[in-house]
Amino acid sequence: MACTHSHDCSEHDCASAWSLYKHIDLPRVWALNEAVEGSAKNVFRSWESRLDTSNGFLESNDDDPELLLFIPFTSDVKIKSVSVIGAGDGHSPSRMRAFLNRQDIDFSTAAEMNPVQEWELAENLQGTLEYQTRYARFQSVATLILHFPENFGADGTWISFIGLKGEATQLKRDAVAHVVYEALPNPADHRLPAESNVPSIL
Amino acid sequence: MVLEATMICIDNSEWMRNGDYVPNRFQSQADAVHLICGAKTQSNPESTVGVLTMAGKGVRVLVTPTTDLGKIFSCMHGVEVGGSADITAAVQVAQLALKHRQNKNQRQRVIVFAGSPITADKALLEVVGKKLKKNSVSLDIVSFGEEDDGKAEKLGAFLAAVNSNDSSHLLHVPAGSTVLSDALLSSPIFTGDGEGGSGFAASAAAGAAAAAAAAGGASGFEFGVDPNLDPELALALRVSMEEERARQEANAKRAAEAASASDSQNAQTRSAADVSMSEAAGVDSSAGVGQDFMDDENTLLKQALAMSMSDGAGHTGGDATMAETSGEDQDLAFALQISMQEAAASASGGTSEMNKVLHDQHFVSSILSSLPGVDPNDPSVRDVLASLQSENEQKPEEKKDKETDSSQ
Repeated sequence: MACTHSHDCSEHDCASAWSLYKHIDLPRVWALNEAVEGSAKNVFRSWESRLDTSNGFLESNDDDPELLLFIPFTSDVKIKSVSVIGAGDGHSPSRMRAFLNRQDIDFSTAAEMNPVQEWELAENLQGTLEYQTRYARFQSVATLILHFPENFGADGTWISFIGLKGEATQLKRDAVAHVVYEALPNPADHRLPAESNVPSIL
Repeated sequence: MVLEATMICIDNSEWMRNGDYVPNRFQSQADAVHLICGAKTQSNPESTVGVLTMAGKGVRVLVTPTTDLGKIFSCMHGVEVGGSADITAAVQVAQLALKHRQNKNQRQRVIVFAGSPITADKALLEVVGKKLKKNSVSLDIVSFGEEDDGKAEKLGAFLAAVNSNDSSHLLHVPAGSTVLSDALLSSPIFTGDGEGGSGFAASAAAGAAAAAAAAGGASGFEFGVDPNLDPELALALRVSMEEERARQEANAKRAAEAASASDSQNAQTRSAADVSMSEAAGVDSSAGVGQDFMDDENTLLKQALAMSMSDGAGHTGGDATMAETSGEDQDLAFALQISMQEAAASASGGTSEMNKVLHDQHFVSSILSSLPGVDPNDPSVRDVLASLQSENEQKPEEKKDKETDSSQ
């Protein structure tokens, strides 16, 4: 498969390199200031379908170009580079700031804090540009937070695709991922498969 | 079971001294706050609730978001009423308090009790609302108390600016019979929480419904029983009401069929009145007493009319009485209509519709002119038409006389 990168590509099967999307914990992806709740999940696709806009864009609210995107991973990953495809007419984001492994970021803290890395983006409608990370800092990423403060002049920021290149380790940062408290035991929550009918006196 | 951190903004301004909510506005607001706190912590054990006051010397946070209900209740005790509420500042402080919540996985929600007039202008409210929406904070507004013009509009604009995906609500509780807490129980502010919230709401409704039934007030449910709480009882009540209604109608029909002459008409009207009276007694005792008096009057009137009607073919008179009574008691009218129709059929042998048609002057003259050999200007034809018309006029006049007689 011929790749459309403008730079030298050592492997011609680029799709496998941009496969970190498989390690994204998609149900827990969320964004602040998105116009349609849940549209943030649509931007993470395979490399082949990066130009496919059938699911729509991740749009920010009208008259506010800021977007904050939380990307949790199922295991710790190392991120080598990022590719962002926006939309035409100035809707593409112009700057990107990345934070790692934080839970408490909203727009005001994101504006004040120094990001782990910051990029100036170009309008990249074909997905030919990739933005390298300072790899040493992106070695064990459990949650990637991307903040897009501005765009190229339109009212809202539209993002069509975000691609992540890197590798996944099998380690997990948090020991306990998800806890549910029970005030009272509820058998409905603990339904075992049918084998539970077998007596356990053995 | 949404994991949520909630900040409740209480209005403790001077307007809360008013007693149009029982016992006074501030107390009913405090009860509502207790209800909300209980529901939130019960729906999810990790949800937190905090409280701040909007008026007084300024916006003051009483309790930061916590799961400890005792702390919240004890803080509510010492709140003093005074000053005027600043909604925009309060909402911004609430947002700040939520930002510094301990568990960042919790969703953020602000509940505002807007009881005093709103001094902030709409544009400022919308800016604050947009900021809330941008930071994904939901907002519930409980509008009660003062109702100056523009308040509803401003709150509506505020809600529209904040609302994303229907997670924010605006509830308007007018002064009067409803208690603030009861109105909240049935609103999306509670039921929007999901199963956990409505479970709490149902159990609280049990207490509320019991109290309401004892006081004789309306709890908002049919028959005074919460269908959620006691479905079998509610069903049994509904079924028995239907059966009673069917039985009354069957009685009325049977009574109507038994009629053949004008004196039995009187018996019919009396029995129809009895039927309606007993049904009225079954529905509501206080209203039934009033209806009994009206029914007695009606029966006298009907007797007089029935006697005049048995003379001629004045069925329009019967129809006019129908219109009269239908305003008072539908079932009585229904029973009477059946009896009248039977009487009309037996009295003249013609249908009432034919006579109605004959009374329409234009229609009659057009038909007559189309008939061969009949000249509408013929004096004999004219006489007949005139007599028909005068009968029409006579009936309403007679009826009016009888009415004034019986009403005196």
